[in-house]
Amino acid sequence: MAQKRKIGVYVCHCGGNISDYVNVEEVVEGVKNEPGVEVAKTHMFSCSDAAQQLMIDEIKEKKLDGVVVASCSPKLHMFTFRGMSERAGLNPYQYVQVNLREQCSWAHTNDKIGATEKGINLVRAGIAKCVLSHSLTAIRIETKPSALVIGAGISGMRAAVSLADMGLAVHIIEKEEEAGGWALKTALMGPEAQNGPDIAAKLIERIKQHDNIMLYTGAELTEKNGNIGDFNVKVRIKDGSEVEINIGAIIVTTGFDTYVPQEGEYGWGMDGVVELKDFRKMLNDGKVERNGKPVKDVVFIYCVGSRQKQTETCENPNSYCSRYCCTATTFTAKTLHALEEKTGQNVNQYHLYRDIRTYGKMETVYEEARNGGALFLRWDPENPPVVSEEDGRLLVKVQDELDGNDEIEIGADMVVLSTGMRPRDNEALDSILKIPVSKDGFLSEIHIKLRPVETVIDGVFIAGAAQSPKTLAESVASSLAAVAKTGGLLKKGYVDLEPLIAKVYEDKCTWCDECLKACPYGAIEKTVCGDKEIAMVIDALCKGEGACVPVCPHDAIDIEGYRDDQIVAMIDASIKDYSKAESA
Amino acid sequence: MSKVSSELAAKLKQSTEFNAEACYHCGTCTALCPMGYEVLPRKLFREAMLGLEEKVKARIPEIYQCLLCRMCEENCPQDVHIAENVRYLRNLINKEEMNLIK
Amino acid sequence: MPLPIAPILGILADNIKQRGSVLPISKKASTGWAKGLNLPKGGDTVIYTGQMYQLIPAIDAMSKQMAMFEESPITKLFGLGRFANKIINLSFFMSLMASKDMKVENNRILKNITGLLKKTGVEFGYLYEDDMYSGALIYDEGLDEIFVPHAKKVFEKLKKNGVKKIITVDPHTTNMMRDIYPKVVPGYDIEVQSYMEVLAEKAPEVLKQCNKELVIHDSCVYARYENMVDQPRELLKNAGIDIKLPELSGKSTHCCGGPIEALFPKKAHEIAGNRIEQLSEEGKDIVTMCPICLVNLRKAAKGKDCQLKDISDTLADAYL
Ligand code: SF4
Ligand code: SF4
Ligand code: SF4
Ligand code: SF4
Repeated sequence: MAQKRKIGVYVCHCGGNISDYVNVEEVVEGVKNEPGVEVAKTHMFSCSDAAQQLMIDEIKEKKLDGVVVASCSPKLHMFTFRGMSERAGLNPYQYVQVNLREQCSWAHTNDKIGATEKGINLVRAGIAKCVLSHSLTAIRIETKPSALVIGAGISGMRAAVSLADMGLAVHIIEKEEEAGGWALKTALMGPEAQNGPDIAAKLIERIKQHDNIMLYTGAELTEKNGNIGDFNVKVRIKDGSEVEINIGAIIVTTGFDTYVPQEGEYGWGMDGVVELKDFRKMLNDGKVERNGKPVKDVVFIYCVGSRQKQTETCENPNSYCSRYCCTATTFTAKTLHALEEKTGQNVNQYHLYRDIRTYGKMETVYEEARNGGALFLRWDPENPPVVSEEDGRLLVKVQDELDGNDEIEIGADMVVLSTGMRPRDNEALDSILKIPVSKDGFLSEIHIKLRPVETVIDGVFIAGAAQSPKTLAESVASSLAAVAKTGGLLKKGYVDLEPLIAKVYEDKCTWCDECLKACPYGAIEKTVCGDKEIAMVIDALCKGEGACVPVCPHDAIDIEGYRDDQIVAMIDASIKDYSKAESA
Repeated sequence: MSKVSSELAAKLKQSTEFNAEACYHCGTCTALCPMGYEVLPRKLFREAMLGLEEKVKARIPEIYQCLLCRMCEENCPQDVHIAENVRYLRNLINKEEMNLIK
Repeated sequence: MPLPIAPILGILADNIKQRGSVLPISKKASTGWAKGLNLPKGGDTVIYTGQMYQLIPAIDAMSKQMAMFEESPITKLFGLGRFANKIINLSFFMSLMASKDMKVENNRILKNITGLLKKTGVEFGYLYEDDMYSGALIYDEGLDEIFVPHAKKVFEKLKKNGVKKIITVDPHTTNMMRDIYPKVVPGYDIEVQSYMEVLAEKAPEVLKQCNKELVIHDSCVYARYENMVDQPRELLKNAGIDIKLPELSGKSTHCCGGPIEALFPKKAHEIAGNRIEQLSEEGKDIVTMCPICLVNLRKAAKGKDCQLKDISDTLADAYL
């Protein structure tokens, strides 16, 4: 053991949450003689302002160089007590939190003696870790005041405009020859009948007028280096040349693909069976005709390519709901009603659905579609509708759950399939960005509720339908969330990263490159140290998650804050023999 | 199995008097009807709206047995004009099935 | 074999077209009740019976016949009946079989209502032979194309007599003349009030407190179509009546079954039976406010320990 430490240990009652089951006084008794402990006591509520002030005073007065608080989960109060340590003039990384509540008192309410014993062992381990702690400083990175947006659909363009309005330089790249995405191909959109191409045109116009935005169409990302706040990317542009761009953050808004039915799926391939988007285009042209004859009966089938179950014919089912299609299809019903009113042509509409998910404000679209005379029949996935051809017309058989599952035959001139969304097949881009994808194939966020646009790659955000099926409104909402995160990051000018990351012991490392292969974040690089090659950690990329540590054959790599010597000391401390006599 | 009659479906769709689109099949009407029919009026309207002509024809006795008492209607959460719908169907049948009106 | 719908509806339709009523009855039967009441013919405001109370004895007689035919092979001959009815007034002969007691009772009801109205000080006349059937039954049966011209005729008669407001005496006529006519007769501008609404509004003095229990059977048409629930209660309460209500009452009242009497007499009887059971649980003396309810429920009450009366009888006891 190195120099003599002066550690303060504070055991929390948490009201009675802890002390009802763990005898906190006994814990204090059990740990007060541990090496390095200068003071050990209890507090009723450690996180209260009063208790924090007492601890601060004591740290200052006794010149403590380490603090252990044995209280709740670090998820709740680690930052509270790190802040307290800082205010007391102590390096926050010399503070250790021991979880006596979630992992001890609450878990062992039936065994108070056992809980107390375990509590002592946990605190002893925490003290052992603290003894070996040293001060660390956050890794500060200067951020570049510019961003890259990948994908110039509505979400991407909306993000670009907002970032530029904040005074950031924005580069936006689009794979297609034209910016606008799916909106270009979608005429009127629910719930309020906005016109897709119009929305796109407006945004394109704003982008063109903005001095801060560079739009590259027919362009693709070919390389990405660097880290949060300071990325270097290469983009191949239309003429085949490559441009290099230096930016502080990236927003990925690559959008979705539409599901293409399999041959024969709900009659796909038969004359008159079309996708919803093509039917909408037809409505937009103002004609409801098939082979020159007016359409009298049209059947819509919902959930095509969404909410699938695994079957022989569908090995990789899309289990998700595509969210947009119910609204889009009921909105199409309304558009058709409006057209009928104009032209006097009557079209019977049969909507074969599984569940109607016109949530929120979109419910009125469904209601209006019904009131306009569109008929809704509910089918069970066990008995999906069957489309066939008969006498030059289409024949749809469906079991209507709302009429006692009776089989109904509908003669139709057209069958419209409400096809769902698919993740984009962007293998090249995925391999460059390395954003994890969910099992459905969409890009994954860190936490669906609390960190919905951040990815595990710091400085790279996702938004829109690239992340999961979304309506346009939801896509724009998420892209503006990504803008807020990006703006917050880049406008501050720097970012502080946790220093609890990997470090290489130069003397031990032999550059066998095992760690490089294990690291999921690409945070290991080769470097030369004196006359030998060794591994180097790129601080800004390393997440401190430790995949490299166990694979290193020479114990040459460690994670700060969880160093091998600390872990060994913690284990030793926690299995020290404990006997009643000791505390009595 | 029942076949949809495009004509019947179109007729009811275009009618301003017949209105059962709002029905969400809660069954309140069926439960309260003093006639105790399994069919009236929820299912009947659905069959009519869907254009299931054969089924509607098979329901003719029930259609004329409705008391138009509006017990159902009074309690329908969707404000379906049940009695008026029944009357509409009678009118349709009188004209098209029974040739009562010339 | 159930009664054949088409020929029966056909007979009703033919009667309306040719004879102005579903069941043509004699002039004496329809206007006789007003004899000696000195009601002026026509005027701004008239009492309007729509012949409902007067028709009931005839309808009852006819439905008794029909009930015998139901489930009998004779139903096959109904088509022939419709043909014959066009030439000779078959249903008129049926009406001759109407019960005398019933005629007397219905005439008394109309007389009582007239007396009650007179007591409010409202000035009104009567249309005598121009007081026509409203067409309620053919409208309900969906014979719209026959009903509409009939309704126009009724309106013409009202106009001819200078009528601006009518006071109705039964729920069906009230509903037809107040809610349906304006929809189908262009220019229709007649104000319609039921006699109980007039009474409740004017609140005439009660001469005799009745101090007894009465069970109310609300008419579905008054309660649910015309929103008229409070008025009869108020009038009875003021008369010292202790009102008893079955579980299904007011806006949730249970139909008497009468509306399907013409086509499905058996079923109608069954419904009435159910209703009588509910009503008699509350007490022996039951009041109705619709001639159809009265006759239909009374049939079902036969042999049961309860009596049915029109509400106007009780009101007359207390107010006249
Ligand atoms: S939005 Fe509607 S149609 Fe689309 S997948 Fe979901 S439930 Fe099916
Ligand atoms: S695994 Fe260990 S020895 Fe190998 S390169 Fe990484 S740090 Fe060096
Ligand atoms: S009560 Fe109304 S909503 Fe419910 S099933 Fe009957 S008609 Fe439909
Ligand atoms: S109006 Fe007809 S369907 Fe409705 S409760 Fe009365 S009898 Fe039944």
